[in-house]
Amino acid sequence: MPRIASALVTIALTSLVATGSGCDEQLSDLTGPTPNLTPTLTSIQNDIFSAADASGRVACTGCHTNVGRMPLAGLNLVGGTAHAALVDRSSVAKPGAILVVPGDPDNSYLIQKLEGAAGIVGQRMPRTSGPFLTPGQVAVIRRWIALGARND
Amino acid sequence: MNTSVLLLAAAMVTAHPSSAFAQASGSAPESAAATAAAPPAAQDDDPDRDVNLAQPDFSVITLPTTLRVARHKSAFRITHRFGRPLGAGDFGDLAGDLFGLDNGAVIGLEYRFGLFRGAQVGVHRTSNKAVQFFGQYDIKNQRDGFPVGIAAYVSAEGTNNFRDSYSPGLGLLVSREIGDRAALYLEPFWVNNTNELPNELVDDNNTVIVGVGARLRVRPSVYALLEAAPRLSGYDPGVGHISFGVEKRAGGHAFQLNFSNGFATTLAEVARGGFNHDDWYIGFNISRKFY
Repeated sequence: MPRIASALVTIALTSLVATGSGCDEQLSDLTGPTPNLTPTLTSIQNDIFSAADASGRVACTGCHTNVGRMPLAGLNLVGGTAHAALVDRSSVAKPGAILVVPGDPDNSYLIQKLEGAAGIVGQRMPRTSGPFLTPGQVAVIRRWIALGARND
Repeated sequence: MNTSVLLLAAAMVTAHPSSAFAQASGSAPESAAATAAAPPAAQDDDPDRDVNLAQPDFSVITLPTTLRVARHKSAFRITHRFGRPLGAGDFGDLAGDLFGLDNGAVIGLEYRFGLFRGAQVGVHRTSNKAVQFFGQYDIKNQRDGFPVGIAAYVSAEGTNNFRDSYSPGLGLLVSREIGDRAALYLEPFWVNNTNELPNELVDDNNTVIVGVGARLRVRPSVYALLEAAPRLSGYDPGVGHISFGVEKRAGGHAFQLNFSNGFATTLAEVARGGFNHDDWYIGFNISRKFY
């Protein structure tokens, strides 16, 4: 192989590897108002359940808390209790619907309520009529469920 | 990452000054004068300038061939994939839409250049704003007596005019010419970042495909073509890319009519596959060698 060919091949492959190592889309670009959101319960708790965000979305624990009140629909999403309240638990409002089915986001009632899917009982969440979670934020929660809805 | 991409692009377009010119057609006195002042005969003896009847073009339909671009020469191609599935509605509806002409299309423009013997670089840009830079180096050539042709293939693709979602790829092109009647292809590729979602949200972010293709000369200048790119591993939405078509060559031009199960004209798009096996889309490629 001529020297110039070797040099070009080396440059091309090196650049390819360098490009490949930084190719992936950034999760922070997808999660909009919560750029640090990742598919772990800790992150979902800190960035979604317990916090409002820059879009004006209210925190879930505004209503779903046992601090100073009864949790709405019996669902307490305060830190440390959310996992037990969600995973493999039936909805109070819609008997038979499981709030979080580990590994199955489509059949998890939590996702259906967040997306306003057909067949939900009551309003889409948050029930302030918006702002709702962005598709990127819901995708992260879906991924958490798809990975087994671990208490991580 | 942008620096790396620019470095790759710079490596791929490094070239001697272009001397592309259209195929001559007449004007003998001018040709004689030009010949008198022409470079030494070695350039005109370049066998890569001769037409290869078994492998006359640089692509089957979308998959690359092992045809070499002549040194310091170039070629251009336009691809067109109409956006209307042929099966939507009845034949009257299809004819009324002129088989998809009225329904928009994904268009691609491609230019490639022969750096030196066996090495070519190029760029393909689609109307979806995907830009693919590619390079190809001839390792073995059947015309040199080897039983098959082998070439290394590298590409770097980015969406949004090469600003977002980069998908580099590596491949090996293996071809077998059968006389001057046919050519067969086997082309494994690895493509990075075929999944357009972030790594944290997906199980697979890369795709390994093996391209298989065939070109058969059914008339002196008419070819039947077929290609497919089944996914061997990784991200594999939809179904594997399949395309077939017919091509007519006239002088330095080739006009190809094709039918595909998707709109893929770049390597990453081929890796992402077609939509399903029920919807087929008509398209065409027009190519021209500037020698």
